[in-house]
Amino acid sequence: MAWSSGIGALESVDRLFERRVEPINHVLANAESVARTCHAMARRFHHGGKLVVFGNGGPSTDAQHVAVEFVHPVIVGKRALPAISLTSDVATVTGVANGEGLDEVFAHQVRHLADPNDIALGISTDGNCTNVLRGLRESRNRGLLTIGMAGGDGGTIGRADIDHVLTARADDPRVIKEVHVTMYHILWELVHVFFEHPGALTPEVPA
Amino acid sequence: MRSSHDDPAGDATALYPFLTTSEGDVEAVLRDVQQSTRDKAREILELRSHVRHHEGEKLVDCATAMAEGFRAGGRLLAFGNGGSSTDAQDMASLFLHPGPDERPLPAIGLTSDIAVVTALCNDVGFDVIFARQIGAFGRRHDIAVGMSTSGNSPNLLRGFDEAHRRGLLTIGIAGYEGGRMAESDSVDHLFVVPSPSVHRIQEAQTTLYHALWELTLRCLADEQQTAETVQEPARASEEIGT
Repeated sequence: MAWSSGIGALESVDRLFERRVEPINHVLANAESVARTCHAMARRFHHGGKLVVFGNGGPSTDAQHVAVEFVHPVIVGKRALPAISLTSDVATVTGVANGEGLDEVFAHQVRHLADPNDIALGISTDGNCTNVLRGLRESRNRGLLTIGMAGGDGGTIGRADIDHVLTARADDPRVIKEVHVTMYHILWELVHVFFEHPGALTPEVPA
Repeated sequence: MRSSHDDPAGDATALYPFLTTSEGDVEAVLRDVQQSTRDKAREILELRSHVRHHEGEKLVDCATAMAEGFRAGGRLLAFGNGGSSTDAQDMASLFLHPGPDERPLPAIGLTSDIAVVTALCNDVGFDVIFARQIGAFGRRHDIAVGMSTSGNSPNLLRGFDEAHRRGLLTIGIAGYEGGRMAESDSVDHLFVVPSPSVHRIQEAQTTLYHALWELTLRCLADEQQTAETVQEPARASEEIGT
């Protein structure tokens, strides 16, 4: 009997969707860390900072997605916020990878494109991408706000000295990606709430 | 597609009417933002549950057709605008480089070649970019996947028309009520994610293309296994004969 005509195919669809429930419940239970990350980002934007985003493979496309989300708001009337992806310049990415090594591709761009006021967002499915970690470390040394998005147990990024780490509690890389998409969508949606409350953006408030 | 009708709500107070705190009351704002985070997480849980019940069987049918395309030598051609262009690139990369334990399949993201995209935009117009690319290298057995939250993007609709004319398998992933993609005769398999939020639509669309990838590989693996089981007795008798 063909795979598609068997009951097994529909069961695998059910299991596929079931795998996506618990990781979102984990986001629900950890809403505070998302809210605090939003707040810290809003403060940096309020003081003229820009968002710098990076990741490898699938997350390289997430980095571009985050950049377009902030630069070209989907909701008319929302303020456009400065953001750049460090994965879109193929000449620089392949040039640095070839010359200094893949581990340096994001750190190099942070060094030359980022300002101390900026926000660095590094996305890594398993939390173990060396170049993402190096990009975040370079960012931290330069005074940027550092945010990591990881998966599984958080990996090395989850244990590193980074201001905010949001971890998708899942093993399946596809599910981790989906949780990351929800997380950065929420970061974009709710960062604007703080702009409606300028009192929450003053320097005296700890990030 | 990102346009004004994607979300008619205006400022944050319209979106979040519960925000009545005075300026500077940081903890109160943080509590409200936490509540919004939970609300949005619940929205995506409910939306995925809806998609699972309404699109589950269609996913199996579509993945079966995709597996047939790949088996016949076809390639995946993925396209979309804005955030959906990054989904198209992600989908192409997922098929082409799925990790060490999975079978790589040929796939191209049509938005990755900025030289071609900007040349066509500059010389002809934005509406033709995907149709021209599909016209240039699309062939029978290829699989054209277009993603749009509104379902109305003219360049996707023209891409589907060109793909359909050339005998490609066409798959559309849309939001809201499917928009003009739902009216197109050129879309063989259409998935619609109904939500008022463009963000939740994109999140469920990501699940849909992940599901298509997983089910396509499963279908191909199952066919391979069946073929091997059928061949096994023949090989055994040959060995006996020698």
